[in-house]
Amino acid sequence: MDNLNDLKAIWLTAKTDDLPGSKEMLRIVKRFRNERLRKKLLIIFVALFAIAMMVVTIFVVRSTMITTILGEVLTIMAALILIFTNTKSMKRFIDLKDCSNKEFIEFLEQTRRNQVYYYKKTQIVGMALSSVGLFLYIYEQVYRSLLATVIFYSIIIIWILFLWLYLRPRNFKKQAIKLNATMEKLRKISDQINEHEK
Amino acid sequence: MPDFEEIYSLYSPQIFRVCMGYVNDHDQAKDLTQETFIAVWRNLSSFRNESKISTWIFRIATNNCLRAIEKNKRVTKVELPFNLPAVHEETQEEKLAFLYNCIAELEEMDRIIISLVLEDLPQAEIATIIGLSAGNIRVKIHRIKEKLAIKFKDHGQFE
Repeated sequence: MDNLNDLKAIWLTAKTDDLPGSKEMLRIVKRFRNERLRKKLLIIFVALFAIAMMVVTIFVVRSTMITTILGEVLTIMAALILIFTNTKSMKRFIDLKDCSNKEFIEFLEQTRRNQVYYYKKTQIVGMALSSVGLFLYIYEQVYRSLLATVIFYSIIIIWILFLWLYLRPRNFKKQAIKLNATMEKLRKISDQINEHEK
Repeated sequence: MPDFEEIYSLYSPQIFRVCMGYVNDHDQAKDLTQETFIAVWRNLSSFRNESKISTWIFRIATNNCLRAIEKNKRVTKVELPFNLPAVHEETQEEKLAFLYNCIAELEEMDRIIISLVLEDLPQAEIATIIGLSAGNIRVKIHRIKEKLAIKFKDHGQFE
């Protein structure tokens, strides 16, 4: 390989005639919706709906017991955390404009760090708030009947144990493997870029 | 505002070749080209001519390629009959596949840089796309050429 021009000539022989035409591409891009952002948007809407329902319940039912009000407040707080985290994450992607490969890799590394923080801290706080919230909220509805108390609290305890001891650890393990692999790859690329600066 | 269809007609072959240089897989390169132009379409109205439009598009395309690592997509290395007999006259397709394979053996950033070089982009523009100084890029291009030369020599091709 002593002649770069020979390589350029070979490079240009790549067939590109099966790419969609400009009219077809225009149809494709107009149809496209950003799935990643749509999922975040859906979570925000669901959380907002949950808050609205809680607020309506507070004013319509007019609970007298402190446990119910505390339960409602804690559930609202959990939903607010969900909204805040997803809005912040969505904003980062929307704000990301024209950037070099170096800046983009830094952005991706930060995104993955945020994701790890979310799984290790935010998700635990959110789940703890909603679990305690549910525990407190249900008390006013069942405390008059021993049977109802036993049944409802058993269901809640089973659900919370399932969430904390099975569902979360399983998802966390799966995500952690994926995240670690991605972060390792990003670190390698980042090293390749920064090596250029030496 | 530049016209999308015009931009697509002008740059899609170049973008496809760069993506192909990075992933060495025809279908994946087509997907990456499509994703690039979806991003171009989405952000065209906010493009403010602060950089050349080609720089902007190549940045989107190469960032998309880098992002592909998150999807766990692997670079395809097709087994080629290295050390072909001297009497055998390689076809254009074989030469191109061989070139892609040699590029596929390079590291990610090297694959991007050499693809941009082969697209005949000026070194200053490549530096802006990658986010390094022109001096760094010059050194890097020199090293990549050396690496490729060794690969070509090892396999006894195009001497």
